[in-house]
Amino acid sequence: MYLAFASSAFQTQLAYRGQVWASLFGSAVHVFAWIAIWMSVYQDTASVDGVTLPQMVTYALIGGPVLTAWQWRRLLNLVGNSVTSGDVAIYLLKPLRYPLYLFATECGNLFYRLAVTGLPVLVIVALVYGMLPPASLFHGLLFIAFWALSFVIMFLIAALCGLLAFWLLTAFSLEWLLQGILMLLSGTHIPLWFFPDAVAAIIKLLPVAWVGYHPIAVYLGKTSVTETLIYLGLGLGWALLLAAAVSALWRRAALRITVQGG
Amino acid sequence: MRNAIRVIPFLVRLYVKSRLEYRGAFLLAISAQFFSYACGYAAIWILLQKFETLGGWDWPELALLFSFQLLAYSMGAALSFVQFRDLEELVRLGTFDTLLVKPFSPWAYLAFSGLNIGYAGHIALAAGLMVWSVLQVGIDWSLGSALYLLAALISAALVNAALITMIGASAFIFVQSSHLYTIFFGFWELSRYPLNIFPAGLQWLMITFVPLGFASFVPVAHLLGKDIPVLSDLGGLAAPLAGPLLVLVAMAHWKYAISRYQGGGG
Repeated sequence: MYLAFASSAFQTQLAYRGQVWASLFGSAVHVFAWIAIWMSVYQDTASVDGVTLPQMVTYALIGGPVLTAWQWRRLLNLVGNSVTSGDVAIYLLKPLRYPLYLFATECGNLFYRLAVTGLPVLVIVALVYGMLPPASLFHGLLFIAFWALSFVIMFLIAALCGLLAFWLLTAFSLEWLLQGILMLLSGTHIPLWFFPDAVAAIIKLLPVAWVGYHPIAVYLGKTSVTETLIYLGLGLGWALLLAAAVSALWRRAALRITVQGG
Repeated sequence: MRNAIRVIPFLVRLYVKSRLEYRGAFLLAISAQFFSYACGYAAIWILLQKFETLGGWDWPELALLFSFQLLAYSMGAALSFVQFRDLEELVRLGTFDTLLVKPFSPWAYLAFSGLNIGYAGHIALAAGLMVWSVLQVGIDWSLGSALYLLAALISAALVNAALITMIGASAFIFVQSSHLYTIFFGFWELSRYPLNIFPAGLQWLMITFVPLGFASFVPVAHLLGKDIPVLSDLGGLAAPLAGPLLVLVAMAHWKYAISRYQGGGG
């Protein structure tokens, strides 16, 4: 059943073809800006802290079109609006679990976004600026696991913030706060290895680091085999913890709706 | 004209009152935006701790560029963005017709009845960062250069408002304008950085067809004595003129677009 929701979300998106060109452009410009920044700062040096320009171009390509293909903002606002307006009550009537239903539709949206913007932008920009292959077969395979984990964690964080809107009554502010945190700490733009060591050591353990930094670091082979496996385990731990939080928060919100419902 | 002077403050007061009705949510929203932009700038600051300069600009110089870009945008967008983004909806539903029969300019009605005080967070951050960077960059400030900064800021705000209005007005012709805003914000994001880090074609584009270069890079580069691509010495003069000129273009475009308006379908 949930698979059907995923494919239905994919097909719904397909109906809005006008958006495609604009979002293709938006995504391309964004990754292009970061590549220009890296090319500019690397003008006079071949390597900084053991990181080269081709590695940073690859970093921007994965952090941009690949890892941010899925629109977490849409989900946050969708959940936020449906819990504050009470529209969510419809889902209480249906024989399904709302968080799982959301996860299924967002999987569909992820595949859609990857197919129409993420991968085309990746291919076009990679053809112009070049992109490194994964550091090894092991890192390449593990990257796929980390990629999936990145989506799951981002989904859970966005859903959590959306549900929080039930109490805070504003999805808008949460969206902006989360955007700031992701911009600075997730490593989708600035890799944590350019942060001061002590700060980076802390950020590496925060769940947002699995959204951007850890997957790319694995792809580029910046982590040893054991380190990679440890971070995979830690990331799975965070995912479980967040899933428990979403489920608990959803249950409380659903209960409050029932109490309020008139 | 006398009519407008009486009505505009009234429209603004109405809107401000309605926004401040939910004071807590309002304050939270502007603080969240302040925080979000500050994080974006902090990311570049961290980069500069490693690399020292970006395109030959050090941190105080970049801070001046960032704050100029954000301040000009938030002043221009307060007057235009949300209002003209939603114009698409007014056109689609046909409610724009009610503005046409008012004895008042539809543009002024839209702009001022929605004068967006929600940009307070942007403005607080940009103004603070600008004061700090103005004191830090190696410019010998004089009355002339201070006046230039002010004139360039106003002009840059007008560039933003004019472009946003023109995109919004295209809803009269195409019914849809939201995709064009996505494209606008793509270029807007680029205009945050020194133009010289981008390929020549893009530099050229940003001071011709997408004149956002005048809303940040050109005036700041002129103040700091940096090279301005394409225009070089003319850039300094062009920056304070670009805004008023674009306003004229936007006015002509608004008139043309309204003449093409046929009312919402159905």
